Amino acid sequence: MSYLSTTDFTDDRTFVDRFRRTMQGDLELSWMDEPRERVRCRPQNERRGLTFRDLDVGGYGFTEMPELIRQNRSFAPRGAAQPPGLPDLQAEVNRKSEVWAYNIEGYYEEAMTRQWNATTDIPWAELQETELPEDIGKAYAQLLTFLTEVEMIATDVPAKWMGRLNADFFEVKNFIATQAMDEARHAEVFRKRALSTGWGLMRASAHNEFNLKFLRDADTFAEASLSLHLQAEGMVLTLFRFSEYISPTEGDKKLFRLVMQDEARHVGYGMQHLKWVLDHFPEKREMIHHHLDEAENFVFGAGYATEVLEPFIILSGKGMKKEQIAEGVRITMAFQMKQTEEYFERLAKCGLPERRERSRLWKMFEQQKQQMGQLSPS
Amino acid sequence: MPVAFPSLAFFEALQRELRGERERFSRLGFFDTTFGIRVHPPGGGPPAEFTLTFEVFDCVRVAEGLANVSTDFVVEGGFTAWREMLDAIHELGAADTAHSLNTLTHFGEALQVRYDDPDGHDKMYRFAESIQEFLDLSARFDFVYPDGARPPARREQLRRSGT
Repeated sequence: MSYLSTTDFTDDRTFVDRFRRTMQGDLELSWMDEPRERVRCRPQNERRGLTFRDLDVGGYGFTEMPELIRQNRSFAPRGAAQPPGLPDLQAEVNRKSEVWAYNIEGYYEEAMTRQWNATTDIPWAELQETELPEDIGKAYAQLLTFLTEVEMIATDVPAKWMGRLNADFFEVKNFIATQAMDEARHAEVFRKRALSTGWGLMRASAHNEFNLKFLRDADTFAEASLSLHLQAEGMVLTLFRFSEYISPTEGDKKLFRLVMQDEARHVGYGMQHLKWVLDHFPEKREMIHHHLDEAENFVFGAGYATEVLEPFIILSGKGMKKEQIAEGVRITMAFQMKQTEEYFERLAKCGLPERRERSRLWKMFEQQKQQMGQLSPS
Repeated sequence: MPVAFPSLAFFEALQRELRGERERFSRLGFFDTTFGIRVHPPGGGPPAEFTLTFEVFDCVRVAEGLANVSTDFVVEGGFTAWREMLDAIHELGAADTAHSLNTLTHFGEALQVRYDDPDGHDKMYRFAESIQEFLDLSARFDFVYPDGARPPARREQLRRSGT
């Protein structure tokens, strides 16, 4: 126990007397006279139910929330009366632009309704009937090992930040709680699939883990969000779509469609958050570029590591014969180009069109594009 | 009486099928997007275009045309690619590995995805399973192509429990 109460309540005469009087029916009731803003929120769309957007009223709402949260240092729910003596919980993030995103309330509601179950929503019995050839099976198991590693850290990062955000950022805290659940389910489904292929988990990736450590150890939530939601998850979203494309069975395709839905929602939050930051805290632009410089270095090292890249080549070429490897290299290069192009496209849309010019990753991409010649992603 | 593909009646039939599967689509979650379908005829000429709007758990609007409509993305391709996808769905009850919408559009080889805003484009993936299951509902009704041919008869028991 590192935190001790400053009062021993069983020895506190005043507290004990008040408790006894209450239990004898002598109610104090001062809380009932607290002047409050009375509201009766109703669903704007009954088919949708009562959403956070329906609760965006007056002091309870998020629209009127100031950029700097100076008043609430406690767990007091936004809009509740704050009596003297509430503890200062020392939230680390008290600036709205550090966490907020356009439509955050919508992303939360969408997340809640689109939850799925890795145990029951995947046709495991059908997957059992499919025997994968050794090279495909091992390559797939290696891909699943990599994805399990990625998703475990993707669970840790939002979970790490959740308790560090000011309680007034209720909608964001709830959204990243859904994200932690989504990522935990992804780690679960990839582990289950790896252990059901007949090959089990293959080899962890040092390169990948350095990248994951970089994600986990970001100094601020804004940096963590930039590299997790927008960069890493943006690239993983393209990777999930590619994985669906190269999946050996219909059951695997369904698995990747379900994980891509969650991932796309996280990317949506990341984009709307970056837009919010650039609109409301433009001084951050340079810091964002510096963070992306390093994030892109890590992602290049992780995404292009041998144990990550080779399974893609084997899976997309559908084998290890010479001509299959050649086809696999061609398709994997097209995937990498698509992945990089979409990442910069998202940054540009968020308000960072100059990122292409500043990025070494973009220069690598341009060189690769020249190598690829005519084949360009849609 | 079979409906024609491509036609507004075809997408209205899909809309009706979805409405009959409210519980299944509710389980998949909120489904909020407007997207377009564009089918290029084999011999050239103007494409057939449709707008589909989804809200909450429902397909609330299907309409002909894409002009003056704000869409998150448009899926377009030649009639042959669409036909191949619909044939596979009709024959098997759901898309097989070669004919899921993501697979057909991923590199733009068979079908292409057009968009202005990457956030809108990402909705194709945020609602990927709902969109796929919506298209898979075409396995349930009879339709006919412009040349008078019909999709292959069902080859095996429907794959998805709901279809």
